[in-house]
Amino acid sequence: MMNLRDIRTHIPDDKPGRIFLFIALISISSVILIFTFLFGTASPVLLKEGAGFITGTEWNYHTGEYGILLLLIGSLVLTAVTMAIALPLSLFTAIFLAEWSPRWLAGILRPPIEMLVGIPSVVYGIFGFFILENIFQYYVDPFIDSTLGFIWIFKDVNPSSGISILLAATVLSIMILPTVTALSQEALETVPRDYRHASLALGATKWETIKKIILPAAMPGIITAFILGLMRAIGETMAIVMLMGNCLHFPTSILDTGYAMTSKILNDIGYWVSFDEPKSALFAIGVAIFVMEFIFVALARLIGYRFSIDRRE
Amino acid sequence: MNFRNAEEKIFCAVSCLAAAFAIAILSYIIFTIFTAALPSLSLEFITTAESDFPGVGGAIANAITGTIIISICATLIATPFAIGTAIYLQKYARESLFTKTVRFLIEVLSGTPSIVIGIFGLLILVYYLRDITGGFSLISGSIALSILTMPVIERAAEDAIVAVPKSIEGGSYALGANKWQTIRNITLPTAISGITTGIILGFGRAAEESAVVILTAGYTQFMPEFAIKSTDKLVSGFKVYPLQDLVGTLPYSVYHGYENSNIIPMSDAFAAAFVLIAIVLGINTIVKVILWRYKIEV
Repeated sequence: MMNLRDIRTHIPDDKPGRIFLFIALISISSVILIFTFLFGTASPVLLKEGAGFITGTEWNYHTGEYGILLLLIGSLVLTAVTMAIALPLSLFTAIFLAEWSPRWLAGILRPPIEMLVGIPSVVYGIFGFFILENIFQYYVDPFIDSTLGFIWIFKDVNPSSGISILLAATVLSIMILPTVTALSQEALETVPRDYRHASLALGATKWETIKKIILPAAMPGIITAFILGLMRAIGETMAIVMLMGNCLHFPTSILDTGYAMTSKILNDIGYWVSFDEPKSALFAIGVAIFVMEFIFVALARLIGYRFSIDRRE
Repeated sequence: MNFRNAEEKIFCAVSCLAAAFAIAILSYIIFTIFTAALPSLSLEFITTAESDFPGVGGAIANAITGTIIISICATLIATPFAIGTAIYLQKYARESLFTKTVRFLIEVLSGTPSIVIGIFGLLILVYYLRDITGGFSLISGSIALSILTMPVIERAAEDAIVAVPKSIEGGSYALGANKWQTIRNITLPTAISGITTGIILGFGRAAEESAVVILTAGYTQFMPEFAIKSTDKLVSGFKVYPLQDLVGTLPYSVYHGYENSNIIPMSDAFAAAFVLIAIVLGINTIVKVILWRYKIEV
């Protein structure tokens, strides 16, 4: 009885209202349809492989073995390197724009940074492929190899090519830089003026104010900015397929090639879409990407939430 | 004291360097794309269809037209759903588990990577429904893109509707208008620039998307043209051009430059990229201008 009344309160009394409810229901059911369809198509392979889907290293359509461990590692390493480049660069750029730079300079610098959000990923892809690849092969890779090469993760394993995880991560970090910078700057600027004045009045230097007052206060906003960057990095396809070499093996160094989950789907789906099991396996990778985005968002939200609570004590 | 001052100076320098580095990289990208595009960039390149040009590549008029048509179609499909959902959520629904679920699902949809929507479109629209959509076609591409742009428009429309002052709506009710009259005559006209911004943003999002377009719209060198021809491959018995036909788009032209990098000159890919950037940045500028005028009015 309670339930029935509950449903009735959602139905508007007038005709246009019912039409809008109907439209909203169509939108929502199409979203649900997409997700159920995604999981439904992936389920045969997910059920067949079980945990082996995540821990397996073999991906073979002919023998019917589907394990995404190497792809998963490829995507995770790529995302980690991307964040290692993008995090300091965009955070300090945001700090500069919000705190150090005079108002007029920030006013000039911000629009071009924001405009770059609109550059399509496929353009970043050919930029990396045709232009950065040469620079990396002849200058960046040898330099990193000669200075840090004694540590295995910085060893140049294929000197004849600039295609590498580092190249893909560099392009990806340039891609997410505008978004992350603009959002972090916004978060820094919303910290109340009083906080700064109080800290400066107590004799703290500007950097001490930034480090101890402004950054902690803006932390939830900054973390949200980085979640958005992270999500884009995991889901990105076009640039990565061109720059990471698409070689299914365990990457031993950041100058090695790798294979990301998104690239695998894009490269194989065109041919295998008409075969039941391969199609299901590729959709299972889609499900894995989808679930990963969820886990990352939940994790980062939790961290941001706890961080903001700790500081309030 | 000395240490504190030194730390201050170091981090000021680090911040300045980071900002300078970021700006330098970004200007370098724009500059390089432009210079790499220059050898191919000409009026002929932009105004000729690839099919009218000898050899592979060389002209992109078909792709420019295709990109604009497919983005318009995607926006046309997405807009009614987005605005309808936004009006329902803001004006009719009461906060409850149901509205929370609706918002959550739309948020999840906007966070879904484009490749996932791409494979969904490829399997459903291109493969299973090929007797209706014509396989890789303008209509498949538009529907898949509209899934991608719907959340963008929905969120902007909802924000615009929330921003309408309660007092003028109250005034309308006080004059005896009912709910729908108030929404139609007061809320929507007031929110129109915010909603327009959302629609244009959605258009830009559709124009720049590449993975979805490659998986659902395919590519053709020919200019889209209107025609109805009989065919036995579709259930309807006839095929409507360009709706059920392949369509060439700019992101795919750029991707071709990578796929066939040994036949197509590098400058062609960059010229296509340059035109694509010009379109997307033009759209973003329009949004900025609308927002700016809107802020002045309010």
